[in-house]
Amino acid sequence: MKYADMAPPPRSEHLWRYTPWHWMHPSDIEIIPDALPIRFEAQEPVDMNTNICVASSSNEYARVFLHEVAKSSTIVSSSKDNELMNLYAVASGHVACSHLHFNIKHSVTILLHLSGEADWCGLHITSKIAKNLNVSFAIVNELSNTTTYLECQDWDIAQDSSVEFAGITLGGFRTKSDIRSNLNGRGANMTQAISTHGIGQRHSDHHIEIHHVEPHTTSSLSAHSACDDESHLVTTGLLTIARHANRSDAGQVFRNLLLSPKARAESLPELEVLADDVSAAHGAASAPVDENQMHYMMSRGFSPAEASSLIVEGFLTAAFGEIKNPSIIDAVRTRLTVHLECHIKR
Amino acid sequence: MSEQARDAVGDYRYGFHDPEHATIRFDKGLSEQVVRDISALKNEPEWMTEVRVKAYHHFNERPMPKWGNCSELNNIKFDDVTYFLRSSKQTEKNWDDVPEDIKNTFNRLGIPEAEQKWLGGVTAQYESEAVYHSIREDLEAQGVIFLDMDSGLKQYPDIVKTYFGTVVPYSDNKFAALNTAVWSGGSFIYVPKGVHVEMPVQAYFRINAKNMGQFERTLIIADEGSSIHYVEGCTAPTYSTDSLHSAVVELIAMKGAKIRYSTVQNWSSNVYNLVTKRGVAYENSTIEWVDGNIGSKLTMKYPSVLLRGEGAHAEVISVAYAGEGQHQDAGAKVHHLAPNTTSNILSKSISKNGGRSSYRGMLQVTPKASGCRSKIVCDALLLDEHSRSDTYPTMEVGNSTADLEHEASVSKISGDQLFYLMSRGFSEKEAMGLIVNGFFEPFTRELPMEYAVELNKLLELEMEGSIG
Repeated sequence: MKYADMAPPPRSEHLWRYTPWHWMHPSDIEIIPDALPIRFEAQEPVDMNTNICVASSSNEYARVFLHEVAKSSTIVSSSKDNELMNLYAVASGHVACSHLHFNIKHSVTILLHLSGEADWCGLHITSKIAKNLNVSFAIVNELSNTTTYLECQDWDIAQDSSVEFAGITLGGFRTKSDIRSNLNGRGANMTQAISTHGIGQRHSDHHIEIHHVEPHTTSSLSAHSACDDESHLVTTGLLTIARHANRSDAGQVFRNLLLSPKARAESLPELEVLADDVSAAHGAASAPVDENQMHYMMSRGFSPAEASSLIVEGFLTAAFGEIKNPSIIDAVRTRLTVHLECHIKR
Repeated sequence: MSEQARDAVGDYRYGFHDPEHATIRFDKGLSEQVVRDISALKNEPEWMTEVRVKAYHHFNERPMPKWGNCSELNNIKFDDVTYFLRSSKQTEKNWDDVPEDIKNTFNRLGIPEAEQKWLGGVTAQYESEAVYHSIREDLEAQGVIFLDMDSGLKQYPDIVKTYFGTVVPYSDNKFAALNTAVWSGGSFIYVPKGVHVEMPVQAYFRINAKNMGQFERTLIIADEGSSIHYVEGCTAPTYSTDSLHSAVVELIAMKGAKIRYSTVQNWSSNVYNLVTKRGVAYENSTIEWVDGNIGSKLTMKYPSVLLRGEGAHAEVISVAYAGEGQHQDAGAKVHHLAPNTTSNILSKSISKNGGRSSYRGMLQVTPKASGCRSKIVCDALLLDEHSRSDTYPTMEVGNSTADLEHEASVSKISGDQLFYLMSRGFSEKEAMGLIVNGFFEPFTRELPMEYAVELNKLLELEMEGSIG
């Protein structure tokens, strides 16, 4: 399928209800813009190949678009068990776009730091995880506060493999992340944690799909959004359990912390269950900062701004409570602390 | 009843039908002339005819919804539907004057008996229009108006003109437009200031003819400090061809008023039930929807409340049972438009024999609505591997002081609960029936006793054959 042959998605599709496609396109929606590739660097040597052409298998609108804009792919392959990959992705120029594929055949930890001043940045991450692996992946978005960022991720998880996924959005003016995971083998597990800090006029939209395709698969998703200033944070989820995927266990929780009268938050945690012997649940909650917590902190000498900042830090970090990998936890906590110290309102 | 008919009807006890004795029956299909003819037949004022015609054009222009069960929606053959059928020359106030065959139908449904025992008023609608209507004299003396909608328009045109279409305008959705174009029957209720209607009033809707469309329109206005409980029930015969029920219900609760609207929908499995129900709640008023969906082929119904006045409260309790070939797409919508408004939504569903139940909800808090609180709980039971349960909630929060919670779960009947009951001497079937009745208990306890007993019986019937 070609982008030019496809009709733009209508806003009646909930994937695009709050972030219409023309907001995410770098220019006129009929145009495929010229793009620079995102520059990938690794802290330690990793097996990385760039400028490889990989055919896109998706017919989804944003994915087809990203594929045509990126033109080529970067493939990162694991080379040994327990490898720690610290990857830095820098987006510069007017339009920057890449396809990043992880070829994972070992149990690895991947930390992807995304930064840069590009006006528009597009990134499509794909990965097929082989059987019996433990993979931890974190993506920290620290793009410029003026960047429009379109991200798609596709994870295929094979039998008895387990993936820990952490995502933290601290940058970007307008961001749309569409993250889809398929639990394709018995015993596959996905633990997903996503935190977003809404400041200024940031519009951040996360769409997270988890598909239990096979029996005895487990997933948990925790998405925390702290909405400050005039930000607008959207979290939509789709959790499906296929007809024969019995003994699956799935849960998703969306939480919004409302910090400013002009901030907005939308949550759509959707559930489609076609198997009867399953445990599936979801929850969503939105609330302001607890006055008792503020009172407690201030009675111990914190200013209102410091107290609020600590509560926000605690709230955003709490999303990662199910993540076990210490490298991931350290990375997201450090970036979050630095970010909040920079933005604390004194 | 022939064997063939019995097979078709199955456990659905209201699947019988009577010979059709229409006094006026329109040809199948919809056109502007049909809309004008319905209006002319009822001697309606010109403004109503104009509203109908505008709605008809909107219906034609408006595309089918692109969400929900699109394949079923696209199967509706609007040209095969009869849009108006009059079975009785007038709405009778005396039960004895109702035509014999219609009276027999409602006798079989138990309506006269219920009226004598526990109702404040009754409207019985057969096909397109009400055939019987009554209200207790003491309520009438207090100024309570309880009429069928056609009589309401004739006798109180100013009130109807003031409120008609203000809560659900014809442009709201395709089926609201259809209803506005061809509406007939329904209830019109006005409760004066400070009057509390202690006994529920009831409307009973019955489709008898094949390929019939029933498009009743209900408008309930509870003036300041008043209260009313309205109960509606619906049944239809089982035919091999489909019927269409597309109602619009508008509720207006003035300052400090309370309206409770209870529904036990038990249409036969050949009825498309596409209903728009919405209420507006002003300062410190309460609107409660108690909504049970047992029958129909496809139900799409999301009772909603606009909380427009400070301190207003909305309560929605919705249960759905989806059996073989059924899709119950139900839910609730609450819009918090004013400060300190509160809402509770409880949704429960059971899917069995390949049935599909969906909860589709919307909870919106606008920037002006500070201090709002809301809680939504959705529980679904899947009774076999062929069935399906979906949850599609939406929470839109535009005010930082809002405190909202949503939780949903899907599971099968707990083996522990079954084991416990069976170890105390219940058969597996009895145990399952008890668990299902318990699951729906938050709904049944809000119904008048007679309805609750009836609902439990219905569920027991529906549950037959669930085991083994």
